[in-house]
Amino acid sequence: MAEPRWLEVSLTVDEELAEAVAEVLARFSSQGGVAMEQAVNYDAYEIEGQPVGPVRVFGYLVVNETIEETRQRLEEALWHLSRIQPLPAPVYRWVEDQDWMEAWKQHYHPLPIGARLLVAPPWAEIEAGDRVVVRIDPSMAFGTGTHPSTQLSLELLERYLQPGQEVIDVGCGSGILSIAAVKLGARQALAVDIDPASVRATDENAHLNNVATQIEVGQGSVREILQGRFRLRRAPLVMANILAPVIKALLETGLADLITPGGVLILSGLLQEQVPEIEQDAATRGLSLLEQRTSGDWVALALRKNH
Amino acid sequence: MAKKLKAVVRLQLVAGKANPAPPVGPALAGHGINIMAFCKEYNARTQNRAGEVIPAEISIYSDGSFTFVLKSPPASVLLKKAAGIEKGSAAPNRQKVGKVTRAQIREIAEIKMKDMNAVDLEDAMRQIEGTARNMGIVVVD
Repeated sequence: MAEPRWLEVSLTVDEELAEAVAEVLARFSSQGGVAMEQAVNYDAYEIEGQPVGPVRVFGYLVVNETIEETRQRLEEALWHLSRIQPLPAPVYRWVEDQDWMEAWKQHYHPLPIGARLLVAPPWAEIEAGDRVVVRIDPSMAFGTGTHPSTQLSLELLERYLQPGQEVIDVGCGSGILSIAAVKLGARQALAVDIDPASVRATDENAHLNNVATQIEVGQGSVREILQGRFRLRRAPLVMANILAPVIKALLETGLADLITPGGVLILSGLLQEQVPEIEQDAATRGLSLLEQRTSGDWVALALRKNH
Repeated sequence: MAKKLKAVVRLQLVAGKANPAPPVGPALAGHGINIMAFCKEYNARTQNRAGEVIPAEISIYSDGSFTFVLKSPPASVLLKKAAGIEKGSAAPNRQKVGKVTRAQIREIAEIKMKDMNAVDLEDAMRQIEGTARNMGIVVVD
């Protein structure tokens, strides 16, 4: 085993104390860098959730011949701070120097989804066999293929897409659904997202998969599509893998109008308890349930637009 | 319950200088975050503020994708600047290393307000004063 190069120090404290602790750790840390991590909690209908509860503050001391001395000085500084407000004992962990640039990649492996798809990161060597390969670079946009809501969307896409169809992907994230659609035989896809980072990611991933000419990527949402800002205004297959509150709002702004009569809408990112309300909203807009699929807490729906 | 957003990580980094060494590497690699993509984007967004400590608040989704926003410099950095000192006290309960005025506290609270869980400016000022006290900085009128 390689010699540890860093000594990680962490303390879990109240939000109010986090900054003072961070200031102490920064004084001793390499380049003054510290990290703080907080879990996220949600109300039933909150879209993004709020960081709540205790904060874990991390600092990193460089391991050299004076490390014990540095550790002692740090402990003293923390002790003094604890005279003002009580602090938990710091937790230490030796950290080897790793190739961090590569280490995160261990989280991603080629992933067979549904009957025909294989989602893989760009660096993975794969034996696709009969499967259709979709390459996705995990980065600043949702949709790496590892989340149940994405997997459910892909399964339903595989089931309901007919070759030669056009598709619209609202809230495209990494572009995974549009790319998969084209690879599965869609003629054209329109992928939109309100987040510019997602628009960029979709464009990059479309090039990575050599399907850029068949995917129009744009910043926007249902409203912009209905206004005719893009080549496609309607399609026989429309997908939205977002979250229930957003989907609800999209239904109100005309999501159902994007589907040609008899066409299919795939909704994903719903939690079980949110399904009845979304289904009801969809029904009032002429959409009837074709199929519901579940994975863990997550549910995806396929709905048909009435003629 | 499983949700799409998993955790929020705040990194205090020097503008334009993010690299995969700690704290960035260990804080993000475990979540499956594309380290290079983060560093590149952080440096691009902060390059014209070189030397400043600019925190990034990273929202991490349960599939390893992420977004981030830049925050105002930490209160401790602003306090040190206001007090004209290099670092906080090693023994803040006994040894005071500098002072700031209440007007400076208000100024810092105004900068930090949007990033804080404060109900109003008064509350934000109280929190900043607390941070000052914890650093051995005395608040004077």
